[in-house]
Amino acid sequence: MEPAKPMKGEIRSFLSQKEGNEGKLSDTDHTGNSSEQGTSNRVMVNIDHVNFYYGEKQVLIDVCMEIPEGMITAYIGPSGCGKSTLLRCLNRMNDLVDGARLEGKVEIAGEDIYDTRLEVSDLRKRVGLVFQKSNPFPKSIYENIAYGPRIHGVNRKDELDAIVEKSLKSAALWDEVKDRLPESALGMSGGQQQRLCIARAIAVEPEVLLMDEPCSALDPVATAKIEDLMVGLKEHYTIVLVTHNMQQAARVSDHTGFLLLGKLVEFEPTKALFTNPRQQETEDYITGRFG
Amino acid sequence: MSEGVTDSGSIPEKVATMATEKGLRGRLAKDRMATRVVSASGFMVIFFILAIFFVIAAEVFPLFQSPEVSLNKVIDIKAKGTVLAFATEEYKTIAYTVTSQGIFFQSLKGGNTWPPVALPDLDGARITSASTPQNHMVVLGLSDGRSLGVQIKFDISFNEKNERSVHPGADILDFVQLSESGRPIELIHHHVGDAGYMVTAVTGPNEVAVVQVKRKKNMMGVVRTKTQSHQFTLPNKGAITALAMDHELSAVYAGTESGQVIRLALPTDEIDSSAEIIGATPGKAVKITVLKFLKGGMTLILGDAEGRVISSQIMKGDDQRYHLSLVHGFESHAGAVRAIGPSHRDKGFVTTGDDGMVRYHFGTSGQTEYELDTGWKENIADLVMAPKGDGILALDGKGRLGHWTVSNPHPGITLRSLFGKVRYEGYENSEYSWQSTGGTDEFEPKFSLTPLIFGTLKGTLYAMLFAAPLALFAAFYSSQFMHDSLVHLVKPTVEFMAALPSVVLGFFAALWLAPRVEELLPSLLMMPLVIGLLVVVVQYIAEHTDLRFYFKEKPATEFYFLLILVLIGTGLALGLGIWFESVLLQGDFRVWLLDAAGLGYDQRNSLVVGMAMGFAVIPIIFTIAEDSLSSVPKLLSAGSLALGATRWQTAVRVVLPTASPGIFSALMIGFGRAVGETMIVLMATGNTPIMDLSAFSGFRALSANIAVELPEAPEGGTLFRILFLAALLLFLFTFVVNSIAEWVRLKLREKYRVL
Repeated sequence: MEPAKPMKGEIRSFLSQKEGNEGKLSDTDHTGNSSEQGTSNRVMVNIDHVNFYYGEKQVLIDVCMEIPEGMITAYIGPSGCGKSTLLRCLNRMNDLVDGARLEGKVEIAGEDIYDTRLEVSDLRKRVGLVFQKSNPFPKSIYENIAYGPRIHGVNRKDELDAIVEKSLKSAALWDEVKDRLPESALGMSGGQQQRLCIARAIAVEPEVLLMDEPCSALDPVATAKIEDLMVGLKEHYTIVLVTHNMQQAARVSDHTGFLLLGKLVEFEPTKALFTNPRQQETEDYITGRFG
Repeated sequence: MSEGVTDSGSIPEKVATMATEKGLRGRLAKDRMATRVVSASGFMVIFFILAIFFVIAAEVFPLFQSPEVSLNKVIDIKAKGTVLAFATEEYKTIAYTVTSQGIFFQSLKGGNTWPPVALPDLDGARITSASTPQNHMVVLGLSDGRSLGVQIKFDISFNEKNERSVHPGADILDFVQLSESGRPIELIHHHVGDAGYMVTAVTGPNEVAVVQVKRKKNMMGVVRTKTQSHQFTLPNKGAITALAMDHELSAVYAGTESGQVIRLALPTDEIDSSAEIIGATPGKAVKITVLKFLKGGMTLILGDAEGRVISSQIMKGDDQRYHLSLVHGFESHAGAVRAIGPSHRDKGFVTTGDDGMVRYHFGTSGQTEYELDTGWKENIADLVMAPKGDGILALDGKGRLGHWTVSNPHPGITLRSLFGKVRYEGYENSEYSWQSTGGTDEFEPKFSLTPLIFGTLKGTLYAMLFAAPLALFAAFYSSQFMHDSLVHLVKPTVEFMAALPSVVLGFFAALWLAPRVEELLPSLLMMPLVIGLLVVVVQYIAEHTDLRFYFKEKPATEFYFLLILVLIGTGLALGLGIWFESVLLQGDFRVWLLDAAGLGYDQRNSLVVGMAMGFAVIPIIFTIAEDSLSSVPKLLSAGSLALGATRWQTAVRVVLPTASPGIFSALMIGFGRAVGETMIVLMATGNTPIMDLSAFSGFRALSANIAVELPEAPEGGTLFRILFLAALLLFLFTFVVNSIAEWVRLKLREKYRVL
C-alpha cells in the first residue's frame, strides 16, 4: 500500500514568507470543504518524508504533513502506531532515546529543526510539550511556573509575578491557586496538576504546544476543563494533540491525522475525517471495528 | 436418579472446596511463619545492637563509680614509746611502727606476734626522730646527732598446704654523723635511690645537713659504704618545719614556720651547692607542717598549719632559677595538716589534720575523691596508704591503729580529666594530652580523649574534603552527562574500589603514597587547579569553534577527550610544581613551609590519610549518590528539558534538589565510614595525639587508638575501661550522626517527594 501523503504538493510552502501572508493560507483546505475554522491558516509545522527509527526498528514510515498555525491538530490511532513518536519529533524529545534516528525533514516556522547548528533548548522553548502524566516539579506552584522563564534568563520578581499570573490565568487555574502559590505543587489534584503543567509550558511563550494524551489519566470533569482550555488556547498557540479518545479529537481538533503502523493513513479536517473518511482503515478504526 | 445426580454433582464440588481450603490454610500458615521469622530476626538485630551498647556501657561504668571506704578494724598496737613513723607490708598483713623505743611489728590479721627489731648498741643515745619509711627502709634520728638506717625485710614462705606466711626481719645499715656538734636530730628525712640513699636532717636553727650514702656490693658480697656530707646554711625566717627530697637525689626542700619553701641544691660537677627560697604558701605566711613528693618526685604537696593542702611543681624558669608553681588547692582540713601519705601506685595521696579527718586527693585531677572521719581529732599521729592503694592505715598517739579498706580502682578519672584541660607534671600550662603509658613506674598517665576526638574529626574532615567533591561530581557526571555505554563500565569499576581492604589502602598509603606526596606536594596541590583551568580553557575554545558539533554528534567521545585533558593536566602540573618548588620555594617546600608558615611536615600526615581514606569513602558516596541521582524520574527531567532547559540547568535545578535526600545520605554514610575507619588512620598517620589542624601533621584517631593501646591495657584496668569509653564514644558518634542524617533525609524527602 502506498504511504498516504494526502497533503503533499497540494499546499504551497509559505515558510519563507513568514510575515504578512496569512490570507493565502485559506486555500490549504484541499478537500474543498469550506474550512470551519476560517482563521489564520499559515503552515506552522512541515513534516517532510520523515522516517524514524529506534535502533533497527522503524516506527514512522515516510510521514508527510503540514500543520496549520493557530489550530488544533489531533493524531489518533491505535497504540504503537507512532503518534506519540511523531509528536516528539517536533521538539526533538526523541533525541533523549538512545539509538533514535530520523530521516527526512521537519520544519517549524520555516526552520529545519534537525540542523546540527540549532540549539535544541532553543527549539524546545518554542515548541512546548505537555506530558501524558502530569509531572510538576517538587517545588511550589509559583516556582513551577517561574522555572521556565528563569532558565531563559528572566529573574526580576515583578516580571516573574506577571508571567506566573498570566500563565495561570491562561490555564484557568489562577482563581483556584492564587492564594496558595508558595505551597507545593504536589498537593494539587490530578487535573489541577495537569493544568499547572500546561501553564508551565505556556509560561515560556512557545509557538507550538504539543500535548501527549494530556487527559488520559484524568476523570471526565477534569478532562472537560482541559478540553475547554485547549480550545481557548488555540487563539495564541498552534496545538498538536495526541489522543486515544476519538470523541476528544472530534470535540476539540480542527484537523485530525490517523496513523496506523507508522504510516499517516489520512489527514483531513476533523469533521471530514469523522464523517466521510477516505480510507477503509480510517473508517474501520473510527467505527470501532478494530483498535 | 435425581438423588444420584445430585450426589455425583455435589461430591466433586465438595472435594474442590476442601482442596482449596487446604491449600489456602497452607499458604496462610506459610505467611504467618514468614511474618514471625522476619519479625524475630528484626527484633534480634535490635536486641544485639542494644546488647553491644549495654555491654560497652557496663565496661565503662566503673570508671565513674564513687570510691567505697569501710572501716576494717581498729587494733591496739603493742608498741612502747612515742610513735614516730609507721608503714605496712604489701599485702596489709603486717604493719611496723617506729617509736622512740624501737621498731615494732604488728599483725593486722591478728594472731601472730613478732619480736621488735634488734637494734645495735646506740652508745647511750635515744631515738628522737624517724623518717617516713620508703621501700621499707627507715632512718632513725638519734639524740647524739647521728642517724641509723634500718632495712625492714619481709620473708615470704609457703608451707606444705601452700599457705602463705610472712616473717618480718631487719638489716641494720649504717650510722651516719649528721650533726657535727652532736645536736639531737628532731627532723629527719631520707630517700632511697639507685646507688644508695640520702639522709637529710635539721641540725641547727638555719642549718641542714645532707649525707649521701653510696652502697656498693662487690663480687664477694661485701658491702662498701661511701658517704659524702654537705652542710647548708639556710636563708630561712622561723624554724625549719618540714623536709622533702627529690627522687633524683639532687636537691632537698625545706619548709619553714613562715611558709617558705627553700631549695637546697647539692653540688655537682657543674654547679655549686646553693640554698634559695623558691616559693611560699599562697596568700599569707602560714607554717608549713608537711612537705611530701608524690610518686615520681615531680609534684610537691604542701600541708600547712591552717589545714590547706596544695600541690605544686618545681619549675625551672627561663632565668635558670627554680620556682615553686602552685597547681591545685585541695579540700582543706579544719586544723593543721598532720600527715600526708602518697600512694605507691599513682598520683593519689591521703592527708590528715587536727580535725581527725582523712581525705584522699588525686594530684593530676586536683579532685578530693573521698574522706573519712577517724574521730581521733588532734590525737591523730600519722597515716599511710596501703602499697596497693586498697587501704588506709592511720595511727593515733595512744597506739590505736585504724585500718580502712578502700575500693577505688580508677582514681583520678573524672569527666574533666577525660575531656578537659589538665595541668600535668612538668607542664607549664593546662593541656589536652593523651599519653597512657610511659617508660617508668613514675610516669603520670594522661588520659584526655579530646586529642583523639579531635584526631577522628580531623581525619574525617580531610577524607571528606578529598572524597566528597570527587565522589559527588563523579556521580553527577555519570548520572547526568556520561554516555550510557560508559556508565556501564565506570559504575562497576568504582564500586569495585569498595572491595579494596582498608589494610591494603593503609599499607599502600603509608609505604608508597606518603613518600611520593612528600616528593611532589607542590605539583599535587597544583593538579586540581591546572586540570580545572585546562578544561575550562579547552571548553571555551570548543564553544567558539566547530568542535562542539563534533561532541554533539558523538556523545561518548567527550569522555575520552576529557581523559586526555586530565592526563595532559597532570603532566603539566607535575612539571609546573617541580619548577615552582625550585624557583620560588627555595628548592624544598618543607624548608619553605617551616620558614614561611612555621609548619612542620610529617611524612605520614593528614593529607595522605585524607587521600587514602578518601579512596575508601569515594565508592560509597559515589554509589549511593549515583543511584539517587539516576532514580530521579525521567518524567521530571523530561519536563524540564521540554521547557527548553539545557542538560546542565535540568541537572542542577531539577535533578539535584530531587535527589538531595539520597545525596545527603551518601555523604553521611561516607562520613560514618570515615569516622570508624581504623586501619588506614593507624598505618598512614604517625599516631601522634596532637591537636593541630595543619594538613601536614599527623593525628591519632579514637579508632586507631583502641587498636594501638589494646595490647597495653590489662583487663579491668583504667586504660582498658577508657578504651571502652573511646569505643562508646565512637558508637554514640555514629549513632548521633546517623540519627541526625536520617531525620534530615526524611525532612528533605518530604520536601522533594515525587508523586
